[in-house]
Amino acid sequence: MINFDNSATSFPKPESVARAVSAAVSRYGGNPGRGGHRLSEEAAQKVFDVRQLAADFFHAQVENVAFTQNCTFALNMAIKGIAQYGGHVIISDYEHNAVARPVYALWKMRGVDFSVAQVTNDDDLTLENFEKLVRHDTRALVCTVASNVTGRVLPYRRLAQMCKRRGICFIGDAAQAAGVLDITLDDGFDFICTAGHKSLYGPTGTGLLVTNGNYALSTIIEGGTGATSAQLEQTGFLPERLESGTINTVGIIGLGEGLRFVRKKTPQAILRHEKKLCDQFEQLLSRDKRVKIYEQNVPRLPVTAFNIADVHSEEVAQKLSQKGFALRGGLQCAALAHRTLATTEQGVVRFSPSVFNTPLQVSALAKAIGSI
Amino acid sequence: MKKTLITMTSITYAMKAKKLLNGLGIFCEIEKTPKNAGSGCGYSLRVKDPPERITAQLDRLNIPYRSVIQI
Repeated sequence: MINFDNSATSFPKPESVARAVSAAVSRYGGNPGRGGHRLSEEAAQKVFDVRQLAADFFHAQVENVAFTQNCTFALNMAIKGIAQYGGHVIISDYEHNAVARPVYALWKMRGVDFSVAQVTNDDDLTLENFEKLVRHDTRALVCTVASNVTGRVLPYRRLAQMCKRRGICFIGDAAQAAGVLDITLDDGFDFICTAGHKSLYGPTGTGLLVTNGNYALSTIIEGGTGATSAQLEQTGFLPERLESGTINTVGIIGLGEGLRFVRKKTPQAILRHEKKLCDQFEQLLSRDKRVKIYEQNVPRLPVTAFNIADVHSEEVAQKLSQKGFALRGGLQCAALAHRTLATTEQGVVRFSPSVFNTPLQVSALAKAIGSI
Repeated sequence: MKKTLITMTSITYAMKAKKLLNGLGIFCEIEKTPKNAGSGCGYSLRVKDPPERITAQLDRLNIPYRSVIQI
């Protein structure tokens, strides 16, 4: 099976990640930060080393990096941590359900209002669309850095500047972008939420919440943190405040090797490789008049969203699976984005390569599509 | 001989402090704070230099700590 569904989770992983996970299971079995014994301290040191790596990667202070279960957890913690007691939130019309659903839930359960800004092909107009939605009680602007459906990159640096000027917290969903674009806190994010298992090449079950520390988050999960244990009040400082319960030591150690892998390759080189594959794929598809490619002429990550005539995207993905290719059809958990693209009925087939895919694999896929 | 401990708020800050202080050529090791020192489940830095010197560095590095104890 050849995986072109790396936007969902990258596979294969680097060998170094597999080795680190194996070593973590067999050697780092202590509960980090939970005891004075050597097993605990060794695990804690490994976790700290990965935290430091992530901090360097995103230009953060080490204590401002919290490990989460995935990007969805990080986004829930950031969004609800800022807005769960009221106010107003702005999101874009390209959001994944990891943003849209927490915001909708806040509206439904807590009366937190939200607005959806329209992203256009004109960045000035897009900025205007966001800014005109700002209210006196707007707490946060939450948006994807790049759409998980089409790869479309939003003008995140300019949105960050606007948020700073208007005194609004800026939360970025970097699930697709981190590891491919050089995303850091220097871009103006107050929070970067990302998955560890996608373009950072870590194991599933890993994610990161990275902050500049300018906004304090209320918590949505409380419990043991290994610190301030005598108090009933949740630990007040990061990262422990956001890491209740035993953390995923094995996954985190694996993520550390994923981060090292990306750092060594560089996001720029990874982007170049994947873009080349995407360009090749789209060029091959362009010969097939039945194929429609979405948002081909906007700034994009190397992701191709397409359909074959009016065949349902799930059906195309199923046929490709039978031919040995993993691509994702349907809505990719991004109802808002599909509403924007007018593809709610048909969905789209998503091609998302990784650093491990090759031009030969892309040619084989295009041939397989031609035979559907 | 008594040893000097600077009790820390968390293992993360303890490790950050150790890394940065060691980088400055200042000796310190992380130890679990003894229960009888009353610091709950915190960690400490065991130091050899005068504690005032260490705490001044921690303040400069913006690393919080709880107290200095000798046991």
